[in-house]
Amino acid sequence: MNATVIAIFVFIVGITLVITYFAAKRTNSASDFYTAGGGLTGWQNGLAIAGDYLSAASFLGIAGAIALFGFDGFLFSIGYLVAYLVVLFIVAEPLRNLGKYTLADMINARFNAKKVRGAAALSSITIVIFYMIAQLVGAGALIQLLFGIDYIWAVLLVGIMMTVYVLFGGMTATSWVQIIKAVLLMVGTVILSFLVLKNFNFNILEMFTQMKTATPHGEAYLSPGVRYTIPLDTISLMLALVLGTAGLPHILMRFFTVKDAKTARSSVMWATWIVGIFYVMTIFLGFGAAAFVGSDLITSTNPAGNMAAPLLAQALGGDVLMSFISAVAFATILAVVAGLVLTGASAFAHDIYGQIIKKGQATERQQMLAARYASLGVSAFSILLAIFAQSLNVAFLVSLAFCIAASANLPVIVYTIFWKRFNTTGAVSAIMTGLISALVLVSLSPSVMSPEAGAAIFVGDPLFPLTNPALLSVPLGFIGGWVGTMLSKEQDLKKYSEVNVRANTGGFRQL
Amino acid sequence: MTKVIAGDKTNDERIREKVTHERLADGTPDFQKIENSEGFRELMRKKKSFLIPTTILFLGLYLLFNIVISYTDWLNAGFIGDITWVWVFAFSLFAMTWILVTVYMKRAEKFDEMAKDTLKEFDYDEEENR
Repeated sequence: MNATVIAIFVFIVGITLVITYFAAKRTNSASDFYTAGGGLTGWQNGLAIAGDYLSAASFLGIAGAIALFGFDGFLFSIGYLVAYLVVLFIVAEPLRNLGKYTLADMINARFNAKKVRGAAALSSITIVIFYMIAQLVGAGALIQLLFGIDYIWAVLLVGIMMTVYVLFGGMTATSWVQIIKAVLLMVGTVILSFLVLKNFNFNILEMFTQMKTATPHGEAYLSPGVRYTIPLDTISLMLALVLGTAGLPHILMRFFTVKDAKTARSSVMWATWIVGIFYVMTIFLGFGAAAFVGSDLITSTNPAGNMAAPLLAQALGGDVLMSFISAVAFATILAVVAGLVLTGASAFAHDIYGQIIKKGQATERQQMLAARYASLGVSAFSILLAIFAQSLNVAFLVSLAFCIAASANLPVIVYTIFWKRFNTTGAVSAIMTGLISALVLVSLSPSVMSPEAGAAIFVGDPLFPLTNPALLSVPLGFIGGWVGTMLSKEQDLKKYSEVNVRANTGGFRQL
Repeated sequence: MTKVIAGDKTNDERIREKVTHERLADGTPDFQKIENSEGFRELMRKKKSFLIPTTILFLGLYLLFNIVISYTDWLNAGFIGDITWVWVFAFSLFAMTWILVTVYMKRAEKFDEMAKDTLKEFDYDEEENR
């Protein structure tokens, strides 16, 4: 680890701590803690959404995947981006109009029922934990590589930083860490893209021509099918990505940080442009790494290709750029895990403690205390899990989180907003069917059971063929909600009128 | 909060008419009445006539893309130089996302106005949000 790395690293960490200090002064109520007081503007929240969404898996993972697998590495990006149309058209505005802090709040604007809230909190917590383990284990491995420290210390470092941001600065600090990270990430990516394009003489056609011969895959590198060869598997995975974003609790929570539906909408617009432009640039990063670093060096440094972007920075910009990109990767990890801690804490402290146990009667002081204890608990628990999961292949956990979000959360959101007849039994069964079917199917899938020793958690023939079960579990979530609704006579048309009017006009908000 | 838009006589009259009975006896708004009002129904018609076709369009194109690249090699044919159609289709999906977001932002301003008019008609006080 050289002096430049340490200097840039300390500088970025320093900025985030200063932010946390000022944010802490402004965090005096539960609303400040969970939603930054609802005072973010459209572009701020748009950047924060991008900062929350573009995880290390997106930055380092996709750049590496494109470097190693060409078009197939880029494939995920398409799903990740188109997903924002689902967020914008279906979820963002009703969520802002009906909810307060969490997804469960929004569903409970229609059903004031503990079991619905409990089920929604459970699915949020499950998604957050899977996502978090993936991020922390990935982070540990990366920081180990980037800074040459032990895995346990790497995880502890990230874990302590995220705890500090959330515990003291709540959503205000988390949002600003995400905003700064998004800006740094864009700056870093633009610089790298520029350098790559310069090396291709700013000629896209020439770049493609050179890529035909630059990798061991030859011409196939530029076509689909290098990595994803089982059609149904690919389609199922891509379905999880496009539908899952609209159900990811840490993304949904960001819509409560703005004052109204109009601002929620403009934050999606900002996020869509930023995320989209970023994904386009990952192509240059990936191609550049394949051409100027070479797949041998990329895979020998890290078999999954995660070091492609830092190695590219080293090749084109020397130590300084490499240090900057590494620091950006570190900031990326911090911003994402801080958002996850906050989301997990909101499900525990607001939904389970505040609303179910205390029946919404907790004082402001009790709510703040609960939020902070829950943040500590969520952080400590995930750090522990991440330390023990070091040797686990966690790559599939992120797509599993998207799959659960698509199967357990999206159906209940859609039904709550659009279906008059929908009722509490339906809401609980939609969430639980989606959640359980996604979990059970994954545990029987090739991601968990593989005949090849060491390829997955258990050795054996998978009982379910798809690595990502979205193709089956998403319809099951919708069917579960429908069957549950029909099995119960309960319906409240008056309440639906209220929800329908409030969701679509933004009026009569109940806080 | 019943600000009358200048020159809009019919709206003015409508507001005067409704102003006496927009609340139920217990003081809560009559949501079923709002839901059945002409203004709200028109808003929902406009919203649905935009959102349903566009959602089918973008999800359809997205799935079509994934099915085509998974089952066929149609898109492996060249477009310009060594850029194949698969990249063109992929970028079209990016462009589609940006275009639909932009179009929706414009439409949504109209929806906001319609929603505001409906709320105004029912003497909605914005302070209730706080």
